[in-house]
Amino acid sequence: MADEFMKGFGLFSVASFLWLISASWYRTPSFESTRQLIAAPPEDPGTMFDSLGIFLGDLMFWTAILGAFTFWVVVPAGRQARSALVVDE
Amino acid sequence: MSDDNQHDARTDGGTGIVPPDDDTPTWSERKSRRSGLPRLTYEYFERARREDQNLREESTYVERDVLAFPTWPHELIRNLALTSFFVGMLLLLSATLPPHIGNPANPSSTPSIILPDWYLYWSFGLLKLNDLNPALSLVGGQKLMADRTFGVLANVVVVGAIAMVPFLNKGSARRPVEQPFWAAIGMGGVTFALTLSLLSIKNLMPMDVHLLFDLTFLAPIVIGCLTYAVLKTMREGYMYDLNRRYYRLRPPK
Repeated sequence: MADEFMKGFGLFSVASFLWLISASWYRTPSFESTRQLIAAPPEDPGTMFDSLGIFLGDLMFWTAILGAFTFWVVVPAGRQARSALVVDE
Repeated sequence: MSDDNQHDARTDGGTGIVPPDDDTPTWSERKSRRSGLPRLTYEYFERARREDQNLREESTYVERDVLAFPTWPHELIRNLALTSFFVGMLLLLSATLPPHIGNPANPSSTPSIILPDWYLYWSFGLLKLNDLNPALSLVGGQKLMADRTFGVLANVVVVGAIAMVPFLNKGSARRPVEQPFWAAIGMGGVTFALTLSLLSIKNLMPMDVHLLFDLTFLAPIVIGCLTYAVLKTMREGYMYDLNRRYYRLRPPK
């Protein structure tokens, strides 16, 4: 169980760190804004690299949330359900 | 420390432990004293020693001949790992985050929002308790003191309460579960500091100001009660014996 926790935690921390980097570039209009990291990204990203950065930021955001959810909730719940349902083990 | 192995000198490096010389009373000499401070001292340390011995006999831990972990490698490897982590985080963040170099401050114009440093927000929040300043109908609905005086008095009250805590409880508990009430007081205080800090920046908080004001005082009470309940529940199964000897080695309450 500790392993599952560490997998979820590792996914959560690494992915949210990468999200932080992307969001600080593309979702922070100003460091004096009250909508830092959560503002909408620019409509027309200039280059392919910028659109790639925005896409990877979104990807990392959902990786952090779904990764933690998977390893902290789904996998343990699946194991519990399996040990409750399967009798001959 | 008993008579048998008193002369069993150990050479495990400079431990700072002074071997007994001829002037040092032996353990049996201490024991033979029947009154006063020497007797009390004997009982005090003998009780601690006896409990220590009992715990050692019960335990399965293998005793070593050193009094602590060596600095190298145990301590230094840990410290190097922690240092490397934080230096790495600093380098990574400074390399990847966009630089923030704001405009230079204009000394001739005062900003519209003035705030102290973040660690003083709690005190700043205490200056914003205008709604708590009672208006007395006796003097025609006037307030007895100005709001700013009330805020300063609130600071005096809170700082005074914090200063009184060590006199009310010496803190002989090693862990929160040993004294749930005082742990709850502490958690409530920390929460109060946090909510006061949020109150002090109420013009930046994305919520109703009156709700924020109520939560400032209700949330610490709720958190305190929660802490108390959780710790009271955790008391069951907590092994007090393992910690009792630490009490003995500290001054009694």
